[in-house]
Amino acid sequence: MIEITNLVKRYGDIKAVNGISFTVNDGEVLGFLGPNGAGKSTTMNIITGYLSSTSGSVKVNGHDILEEPDLAKKCIGYLPEMPPLYFDMTVLEYLNFICDLKKVPKNERKEQLASILSMVKIVDMADRLIGNLSKGYKQRVGIAQALVGNPDILILDEPTVGLDPNQILEIRKLIRKLAQKHTVILSSHILSEVQAVCDRVVIINKGKVAAIDTITDLSTKLSGSTKLSLSFKGPEKDVVNNLRSIPGVTNVVSVVSNADTSIHQVEITAQSDSKSDVRASVFYTMSKGGWPMLEFRSLDPTLEEIFLSITSA
Amino acid sequence: MLAIYKRELASYFRSPVGYVAMALFSFLSGFLFINQYGDGMVNISTEIMSLTSFFVVIIPVITMGLFAEDKKRGTEVIFYTNPISMFEVVLGKFFAAITLIAILFINVFIHMIITAFSGGVVNVGTWGSVIVYFCLAILFTSIGVFASSISDTQIVSAIICFVTILVIQLLKTVSTLASAGVTSLLSSSVFKLEPDAINRASNNVANAIAWFSPFTKTQDFRYGVFSISPLVFCLSMALLFLFLTYRILEKKRWSQK
Repeated sequence: MIEITNLVKRYGDIKAVNGISFTVNDGEVLGFLGPNGAGKSTTMNIITGYLSSTSGSVKVNGHDILEEPDLAKKCIGYLPEMPPLYFDMTVLEYLNFICDLKKVPKNERKEQLASILSMVKIVDMADRLIGNLSKGYKQRVGIAQALVGNPDILILDEPTVGLDPNQILEIRKLIRKLAQKHTVILSSHILSEVQAVCDRVVIINKGKVAAIDTITDLSTKLSGSTKLSLSFKGPEKDVVNNLRSIPGVTNVVSVVSNADTSIHQVEITAQSDSKSDVRASVFYTMSKGGWPMLEFRSLDPTLEEIFLSITSA
Repeated sequence: MLAIYKRELASYFRSPVGYVAMALFSFLSGFLFINQYGDGMVNISTEIMSLTSFFVVIIPVITMGLFAEDKKRGTEVIFYTNPISMFEVVLGKFFAAITLIAILFINVFIHMIITAFSGGVVNVGTWGSVIVYFCLAILFTSIGVFASSISDTQIVSAIICFVTILVIQLLKTVSTLASAGVTSLLSSSVFKLEPDAINRASNNVANAIAWFSPFTKTQDFRYGVFSISPLVFCLSMALLFLFLTYRILEKKRWSQK
């Protein structure tokens, strides 16, 4: 568990982090979102002890990062934005070096390294020089490095940046696998990634927490209404008027209308707090009128929309 | 500390640095040895003392990458985010550099063995020279470690280290220049001083500057005259520079600029 209270980091006159507080629960995957320069990396650097805060405190499993740094750092595996790799070492030499630093007992070392290598799928690369590996493999070695010593908490700073789509999918799969045994904090400005992997998101903007919630709660909270998209065959005017009369529906907007085929698409806005689900009423209205429904789906706001509305506000 | 030490020492031999230093040192020491051997009179002390004047080239090469390289590659994060104290990191890197210097010195031991078997001079003064050699090596390496920690690029840290060692080597000249400057300054009619007082002042300035020279402090060791104060001087100066390095590295964590 990580408790962050009122964290401030000042660089000259600029407050890179300005009073951030949140808690990361055990076993959770927390997405850490924000535009470039929002203070994501600074916050992560403070949590891991790389930087110190101007004020505020970070407690990792109950250990303050400044007062009991060794105990706190033992609980954390950190993958910085730029993986800290020595290009002149082989993968195995490098991981052994990290084992030395993290004081992994000699008798556990072989077993632990074997399981890490197979988990991040770099068994074949174990004896290659890190400098000769591709970017995706370097990133994996970076993750392997964070896993040494079996820390409870993994902090990954933009782990998929600069990778090709295949590698991104692989790394995401890996993160999901890691999330089963570790608490993970994942920073990213790629929203779909956070959506795919995380239980909860913290959105920060200009050094402050803009929102903390699950992705589904965030979307309803923000819009206050649900949106539905409907394609149908039939007279557009009649249908729209009928739909408007359904209780709970606040607006119906035509999106695509094609007079030749009389296939139309509309967007229905309904109050999300109304007890009755408007979707059933929409169905019965359409069926009563004898207008076939060709497509019917709900339009949840994507994280992109949430993100934009929060960070631009 | 041992982890850092092992990695750093091995990395000298993963890159050309270790081999270049070995080649350079073998050439220099071999040249100095053969030069005397040809004359039919070999004194290893002379060889060792001549070698100390090449520290100005060798030490910057050995120490320039110690911290500058980590900063450039972003690997310094490892030291800050793992359960290890920054002073251990400094000591680990320092001892790795000292070990490389000791490995280079094997050449000289071979020359000593050859000399001893062919009837040359290997006496207590020779061992005194060895002590001086390592005292100076420790002092200059700590300066190199410090230079590496204050710069982000190897070249800049090498230059800082080179210039510092050069100034220390030339302290005798520097002190003469400074005393001449003091003399000419005090001789001006503004002060109206006795020539005797001017002499004393300029002598004091020269002595004060020369006091810092580790070379003059240790010059009697090669004749078998030992004293503890030069050793204390070198080691405490080295400790001072290592401590400053530690503070520089810690400062990065706290810096608010």
